[in-house]
Amino acid sequence: MKRFPSPCIWLSAFTLLFVASPLLARKNEPAKIKAAAIQVEMIQSDEIKLPAEFQVALYENLIRQLEKQGFSHVYRDGDRNAASVADLVVLHSTVRGFKAGSEKARQVTTVSGATSITVHCQFTRPDGMSLLERDVNGKVRFFGGNLKATYDFAKKAAHVANENFSSPASE
Amino acid sequence: MTPRRTVYLVVSLLFSMLVSAIGNAQETSVPIKAVQLTGLKGIKDNTKGTLSVENGNLHFVHGKASSDVSASSIQDVVTAADSQRAVGGTIGLMSMAAPYGGGRVLSLFRTKIDTLTVQYRDADGGLHGAIFTMSAGTAEAIKKALVAQGAHTTATGEPTAVPAPSSTSSNKEQKQ
Repeated sequence: MKRFPSPCIWLSAFTLLFVASPLLARKNEPAKIKAAAIQVEMIQSDEIKLPAEFQVALYENLIRQLEKQGFSHVYRDGDRNAASVADLVVLHSTVRGFKAGSEKARQVTTVSGATSITVHCQFTRPDGMSLLERDVNGKVRFFGGNLKATYDFAKKAAHVANENFSSPASE
Repeated sequence: MTPRRTVYLVVSLLFSMLVSAIGNAQETSVPIKAVQLTGLKGIKDNTKGTLSVENGNLHFVHGKASSDVSASSIQDVVTAADSQRAVGGTIGLMSMAAPYGGGRVLSLFRTKIDTLTVQYRDADGGLHGAIFTMSAGTAEAIKKALVAQGAHTTATGEPTAVPAPSSTSSNKEQKQ
């Protein structure tokens, strides 16, 4: 009499478990919001004093990363062509925290001088209806100039957009 | 007309010609070596080239490629001061692995630079931003030339170049 199931049965059970669990998890994911295009507003920093080059770098990197994430139409702030687009999502970004850091301190000490930036991202419809709000931060800890924090932020913000919005091009 | 009066007239005429010549020289700036960090269409990031203000345009040239931004489309132009590693690039990165902290010592040697940030609108009204770095003390001339040719600026007053946040600020995080 066999007391244990054969290795084949064990193997099948484990395979089923590993394959099924991601599929089940995927079913539980919230449905993505339809977005035919996204319009990026200029980064606002009324309460935090942000250098102009950071503001522009945040904006330009954000547009570039959204395009890389598969959004077919990424409109800039003030672009008149966006007005006629159905299912348009507007991204408003407001700087909530900024630490300038120091590239020199980073390179000399490796533990201090980190640059960090926290931006509140709000995705809305053109009429102002809020769809999603999230705080996203960008950091540079070791290598690179201070502006590299804006690239880090842009990558994360574009990832948030890709996770929550479905563009016809990315489907 | 007395000879003395004629001399006064000639001197004042020459002086006014000199003043206007200086003014014109500021409007059309000489090409300056600059690095385009980001923002210009058709130009890759971190591209070295020459930057000048010609015929009402901000003109950036890199090899055969060039890019123009009309001064009248510029909504804001801001200059600032910063610094960068004297030894950069691949050699700078490799030096980090030098024994006995040799790379860190090299990091202490830094060169001062100016940054020029412009925000402009395209034909569709879309907002663009471009950032340039150049040797210290040169960005202000470009800014003045741009403003003289119709660019707008929110930063008023004489020198807008401020100490670099990377090197001199208190590094305290600002929170809302």
